[in-house]
Amino acid sequence: MDLTGLKWLQQQQQMVSPEFLHILGSDGREELRRVESYLGNNIYDTIDGCISRTSSFQMEPVKNNEDNRVIALRNKRKPEGKTEKREKKKKIKAEDETESSMKGNSNMSNTETSSEFLKQDYIHVRARRGEATDRHSLAERARREKISKKMKCLQDIVPGCNKVTGKAGMLDEIINYVQSLQQQVEFLSMKLSFLNPQLEFHINELSSMMADPRYFPLHQQGSLDYSVINSNQTTSLNALKMETSSSWDVHSQCLCNNLRTDSVSSFFSLK
Amino acid sequence: MGSGNNPIYTGVPEKDVFALHFLQTLSNLRTQIPFSSPDKTKDRVKKIKKAAYVSMARAAGGTNRLWSRSLLHQAAKRNNKNVRLSRRRKRVTWPRRNRRDPVEEPAAERLRNLVPGGGAMETSKLMEETAHYIKCLSMQVKVMQCLVDGLSPK
Repeated sequence: MDLTGLKWLQQQQQMVSPEFLHILGSDGREELRRVESYLGNNIYDTIDGCISRTSSFQMEPVKNNEDNRVIALRNKRKPEGKTEKREKKKKIKAEDETESSMKGNSNMSNTETSSEFLKQDYIHVRARRGEATDRHSLAERARREKISKKMKCLQDIVPGCNKVTGKAGMLDEIINYVQSLQQQVEFLSMKLSFLNPQLEFHINELSSMMADPRYFPLHQQGSLDYSVINSNQTTSLNALKMETSSSWDVHSQCLCNNLRTDSVSSFFSLK
Repeated sequence: MGSGNNPIYTGVPEKDVFALHFLQTLSNLRTQIPFSSPDKTKDRVKKIKKAAYVSMARAAGGTNRLWSRSLLHQAAKRNNKNVRLSRRRKRVTWPRRNRRDPVEEPAAERLRNLVPGGGAMETSKLMEETAHYIKCLSMQVKVMQCLVDGLSPK
């Protein structure tokens, strides 16, 4: 009974489809032979038929390159339709992929070169499957990812940027925001010049005004908006008030000393 | 807790710093205008606006940030007396032929025109500077708004 089983299996082993051999390529054929010999030793494990498209290898003794190839072969099997489509759709720039016609070979070279790049480059970028593995395109991709990361940060800062997606729309929003801020500055400076036609700014009065509770709610608002930046704004507010008013006094003293015009006294008169 | 939000460092000093610098610059303005006050509105407005920008640049980063440096440089060119630059001769921007972005990106050109010093930066650096610039600008706007509210007659 054992003998008949063995003979049957040997017959099965011979009937590997020629398509499959062609796909494997020369290296693959060697591999296949090795596998066959291995499988031939464990008859009882492979009753369904040794090598068919649907079965998967069970190889224990693996070295590095064999491992890659096994994985490549295994990977090749399951999403076979997918790899075909991917390689046809994407415009492949890398020389590796265009040169190799064997799908198995191209898979192997992909994994190998990307692992190489992982060791050599300073910026570690993983080459995804089916994408070009040039040094240039990797660097470009890293740069693009950096830029998009920073644009995401900008998105948090600029209000109303959440609805628009895509680089161009967000850029437009950001540009509009910056322009509006600059216009606000101009508008406010115009207002200020109208309020103060002589451009007299009474510093002492203004300092006391700035420290006022009138200024306070805006401080609070400021802490809400800029909680990203200033964590200790609310706690040290009192201390700051004391500090800033004293520094302003000092400054006003300096200005008093520097001024030579007649309007010194009027300039610093408190109302 | 909040600073972990942004991987880029965009810390901005508190409002009081901005206010202080702005008032200081405004009072400097007063000392420079000759005693006969100018009648034209446009000049006044221009001076105030420039004072606002210069004080913002000083308050925000001094010479640590690229946009503030180039702002101060621009201001110094037009009017030598107004701005005191730092003693150390810090290079404002690298010469244009070096930093002209090796990869031309036409999308960010408008942004470059808006942000001071934008012409000589790479795109990723431009984004950082824009973030910081926006924060400082909004802070400055708040300060000026407070001032206007305080000074306006009730």
